[in-house]
Amino acid sequence: MKRTVLAVAILCLFLAGCIKEEPVPPEVSLAEKQELDLWRAGAPFYLKEPFNRYKETLLKSKGNLTKVNAQFKWFRNYKPVQAEFAQLLKQGDELSKQLEIEKQKRASAVLERMKSLQQKHSHLEEMTLSIHLGTLTRSYLARAEVALKEVQTLYKKEQYPASEEKLKDVEVNLARAEKAIAPVVSRYKDTNQIAKWKRWATETVEESREEGITSILIIKANKKLLLYKNGSLSKSYPVGLGHNGWSDKQRAKDNATPEGKYKIISKNPASRYHRALLINYPNEEDRREFQRAKKRGLLPQSAGIGGSIEIHGGGDEGLTYGCISLDNHQIEELYYAVDVGTPVTIVGAIDERNILSSAGTATPSKRK
Amino acid sequence: MKRVRLIVVGLMVLAFLVGCASKPTKEIEDTTAAVKAVIAEGLGKYAPEDEKKLNDSLAAIDAELKVQDGKTFKSFDKTKQMLADLSKMAADMKAALPAKKEAAKQAAVAAMDAAKAAADEAKNLLAKAPKGKGTAADIEALKGDVKGVDDALVEVQGLIDKEDYAAAVTKANAVKEKAAAVAAQITQAMEKAKKK
Repeated sequence: MKRTVLAVAILCLFLAGCIKEEPVPPEVSLAEKQELDLWRAGAPFYLKEPFNRYKETLLKSKGNLTKVNAQFKWFRNYKPVQAEFAQLLKQGDELSKQLEIEKQKRASAVLERMKSLQQKHSHLEEMTLSIHLGTLTRSYLARAEVALKEVQTLYKKEQYPASEEKLKDVEVNLARAEKAIAPVVSRYKDTNQIAKWKRWATETVEESREEGITSILIIKANKKLLLYKNGSLSKSYPVGLGHNGWSDKQRAKDNATPEGKYKIISKNPASRYHRALLINYPNEEDRREFQRAKKRGLLPQSAGIGGSIEIHGGGDEGLTYGCISLDNHQIEELYYAVDVGTPVTIVGAIDERNILSSAGTATPSKRK
Repeated sequence: MKRVRLIVVGLMVLAFLVGCASKPTKEIEDTTAAVKAVIAEGLGKYAPEDEKKLNDSLAAIDAELKVQDGKTFKSFDKTKQMLADLSKMAADMKAALPAKKEAAKQAAVAAMDAAKAAADEAKNLLAKAPKGKGTAADIEALKGDVKGVDDALVEVQGLIDKEDYAAAVTKANAVKEKAAAVAAQITQAMEKAKKK
């Protein structure tokens, strides 16, 4: 009896050794690779919830695989686990497709926002390069550009969530730039102000026609000096303005170029800036405005009204302290085309669509 | 009587077997703490795949523990081996982390230095540009650009201080590019002014 039991036991052990171990289904390693690929592709960022569900299923399936592996090899049956992993692979494939769609969507959104902000930046950049609106504005624009470059780098690396975050920096700096130029720009968007400037311009041209005289019209937004003879445009010259030239002059040393109706009161043939035509700033209206501003506390009591505003040479690209500058050969020509008493009207803009009106926020000016 | 004795001996053997297989609680706690520590040191920032490996291994150990918990005859030998492997992995990653951090820091510092050099060049050029009345409007505007570049450089330093080296490199490269563009614009503006 004992011998029989021993023989059966030996036979069993022999058979156990002969039985070929069932291999782990290939779906397991495929699923592991798939999960890693999805992770690398950013599934935890773009499809957080579905990816977490996928991972939970993977963990559960791995747990079941561990259970099977823990069984004695005679009793191991990988089929149910294999089916689970096959199902998981399908789920992963679906997730992969969704991920591509989601990434494409995010990429398009980033690209669209980036292009729109680039356009806005380019416009402000171009405008502030030709029209000096303060170094602060340009510093914000430079920072916006740096942030835009960062977005481009992140976008190339397909880091869309980080790109979206960085786009906020671009928006913040562009908003700061717009805010910084708003006090100047708002006047160029104000339809009432433009109507007033337009009226001054029309009156100047009509006066030239009716009285058969020569008149000068300076349009700041266009950086142009227009010479009218008998109501007809005779000549157009490019001009340079003050460091703060697009603002209306309010006081001495504000570097602004005055706006209003003036006259040439003297001609200087030997100016430091080749030739010069002095205008009668401050006129009566400027003096009244200056006093009103002081009374209202808008200007310090110690402030002076300023003066010595000229149309002179020195170049049309230089920044003045409030004067209007032309190239030397052009002031030479203008100098002899006008006389003392020639009307000079200086306006901001005569068109509602001007270079400054497309930027900043509209806050109508109360001045003038 | 003989049978009763046999049953008692069997139960004792069973109790012995079950009792022997106790959960490696201390190893689990130690390994989890080691993993958390290396992650807290910023592993994800410098080697995100390593962080994932650690988390996945922890999850695998958890799954193995659940399997053993569900058994009558528990065996934690495999779990212990997995814990030992994970502890070693975490220790190796922790040991390699300072070098990775240092390399990332050096890359960020080098990028910032290059950006600073480009900004300095723009500043030097600007210092040579004419000042006061008659200054070209574009040169005046470019002063603001140089200020913006300087401000952005301060942000790069801030990122380095926060050990966000990857972001620092991206920003420094962007600053460098902008500074070079500003320098080119200043040169162009000065040449234009000379010609006038």
